[in-house]
Amino acid sequence: MLRIKRAVFVLLLLVSAGVLGAGVLSAENVAVEEVLVSADWLEARLDDPSVRVIEVSVIPGVYERGHIPGALNFVWHTDFVDTVRRDIVSAERFEELARAAGINEDTTVILYGDNNNWFAAWGAWIFNLYGHEDVRLLDGGRVKWEADGRALSTSAESYAAGNFTANDIRPELRVRLADVLSVVDGENVGTLIDIRSPAEYNGEIFAPEGVQELAVRAGHIPGAVNVPWGQNVREDGTFKSIDELKALYGGLGIDGSQPIITYCRIGERAALTWFVLNQLLGYDVALYDGSWTEWGNTVGVPVDNPAGTVWGGR
Amino acid sequence: MLRQVVPGLVLLAGLLAGAFALHDTPGYGAQASLSLLIGVALGVVFQRGRFCFFCILRDWIEFRNSTGLYAILVALAVGGIGYALVFGAFLPNPLAGRLPPDAHIGPVSLVLVAAGAAFGVGMALSGACISGHLYRLGEGYSRAPFALFGALMGFGAGFFTWQSVYLSQIFYAPTAWLPATLGYGGALALHLAVLAALALLLLRWLPEQPARPGGRITLAGLYRTVLQERWPPLVSGAIVGVLGMVAYFRVEPLGVTSQLGSVARTTLDNAGLLADRLNGLDTLAGCATQVIQTITDNGWLIGGMVAGSLAVVLLAGRFQLSALTLRGGFTALLGGVFMGWGSMLALGCTVGTLLSGMSAFAVSGWVFGAAVIAGVWLGLRLRLHRLD
Repeated sequence: MLRIKRAVFVLLLLVSAGVLGAGVLSAENVAVEEVLVSADWLEARLDDPSVRVIEVSVIPGVYERGHIPGALNFVWHTDFVDTVRRDIVSAERFEELARAAGINEDTTVILYGDNNNWFAAWGAWIFNLYGHEDVRLLDGGRVKWEADGRALSTSAESYAAGNFTANDIRPELRVRLADVLSVVDGENVGTLIDIRSPAEYNGEIFAPEGVQELAVRAGHIPGAVNVPWGQNVREDGTFKSIDELKALYGGLGIDGSQPIITYCRIGERAALTWFVLNQLLGYDVALYDGSWTEWGNTVGVPVDNPAGTVWGGR
Repeated sequence: MLRQVVPGLVLLAGLLAGAFALHDTPGYGAQASLSLLIGVALGVVFQRGRFCFFCILRDWIEFRNSTGLYAILVALAVGGIGYALVFGAFLPNPLAGRLPPDAHIGPVSLVLVAAGAAFGVGMALSGACISGHLYRLGEGYSRAPFALFGALMGFGAGFFTWQSVYLSQIFYAPTAWLPATLGYGGALALHLAVLAALALLLLRWLPEQPARPGGRITLAGLYRTVLQERWPPLVSGAIVGVLGMVAYFRVEPLGVTSQLGSVARTTLDNAGLLADRLNGLDTLAGCATQVIQTITDNGWLIGGMVAGSLAVVLLAGRFQLSALTLRGGFTALLGGVFMGWGSMLALGCTVGTLLSGMSAFAVSGWVFGAAVIAGVWLGLRLRLHRLD
């Protein structure tokens, strides 16, 4: 009798542990799914009117020659920025753009693009900045969707105007030069992450090959840790697992206990690492969109240039 | 006869196998594969239809025969309809101030006129335009390599001219696109009306057509019609128009100078002779040049053109190296320089700027086309084409 009781007890224990474990696991999956969706997830919801898919690709003409059915096109260098002064798109223009795309307050916005979702992540940052609640990335972006052999469409879509309203910028997601300087000077705590290539970080080159040198000083912001953006993703372009990402950044002492600032060269690619650390891992992260092309041109700010490369000559 | 047909078949099979392999080669893929196939098709049609802009203009100006011009008119009409269809999907609203991606809509300036005229003179001097030399290379036209090499040098010269005229002539030049004011329907209607008017005007230079014998179609007759006799202009023109639309829809607008210009630019860049940045050049639509390390889609296209033309000439048993004189080689080289310079400044040649530009309803295409005709007319008057 006692043995049976004991067996039942152990069985109950095992079952409840299993249920609990499964619950924890799916809770994490649900949390991830709220910011990052798989191609399967998206393919099953292409006809869902509450889901709006937007492509943000770097290469012009890519969207037009075939996009995810129903997707609209946002152009990173005209739609997400102010084309005259150096700044992100104004609230008024962004609201206009989002409404024309049929985006409502409760629309689930799915962004994807070429080049490992670089500019889709930048778009996700802008949507978050202006307070849209539900913005997600398509894991693996355009490349994975194509590699999976999923359908593309060339037909032009149009939707009835939405009621999206741009809120005031969420200040915790964006930092300016003075904020970064206060971290470098030790007035505020924070961890800086430079997501450019090691050669740029070390000051051996001013810009990647084939790209204009837009900064007159080489190197990085003092104290910044170099974690090139590519370390966030697998070979097929999908993000590494939460555990892998935690291990990657944890190994460098970045565990979310301090506010984080990410930056790159012109400010867009760093949005990918912002997405990983803020949206996937839930850390306190802001993007410094001035990035190296502001810092490396600013008079009087401290620079760390290990390679000692001199601009404009040998 | 079989000595040519068998290599012709082998070459065609090789091209198909090559396109198949390209598709799965990392770094190339579907676009490169498709470019090669479109190039082969273009080479075949150009050769079989004798779709050589210079020969066609010369027939009209010198021999009062407008037959070939109808091929160009049909290509533009079919191409215009095709582009309107594709534009409707790519850029539903043409009135909003944006231009469709990649389409060859260039700035209209005096530089464009000078470039077109120089290109026309170069055609007369060298015996063909750039696309003409590419397909005639497959026929064994021995002046073609000289003209193409000259075009590389002309391209190099063009880059230096570009730097000196960009700010004064090109920057403020209007990039006029008809649908931006007329809409797609209006632009297409105007496009077709102008082409129809030109077709009516040219009727008086259309020679008497030979009587066609009736009777059954035999294999030998088919071989002669398809591979040996010149395709009717309406057929070759329509196919060129369709190819133009297919190329724009899937890869990029048809053009044949992008790879050549890129080779010239890369060479100059490697030698340190070129400024790091050519003002504004990389922001304009057209046969874009870049500093390259690989074969671009455009490279596969022009390679396909030469090979496609060669294959179909071999199948007809008509391949023959033409005789070459020192003077013929030199004038071809010089003509090539004129054409390279012109197509660099016009951002394309008779295919890229004229055919793809006009089909896209770009005013630059029409201006360039008129200037090319003037240049060819001048070249013929100066008897430059007799210098070989």
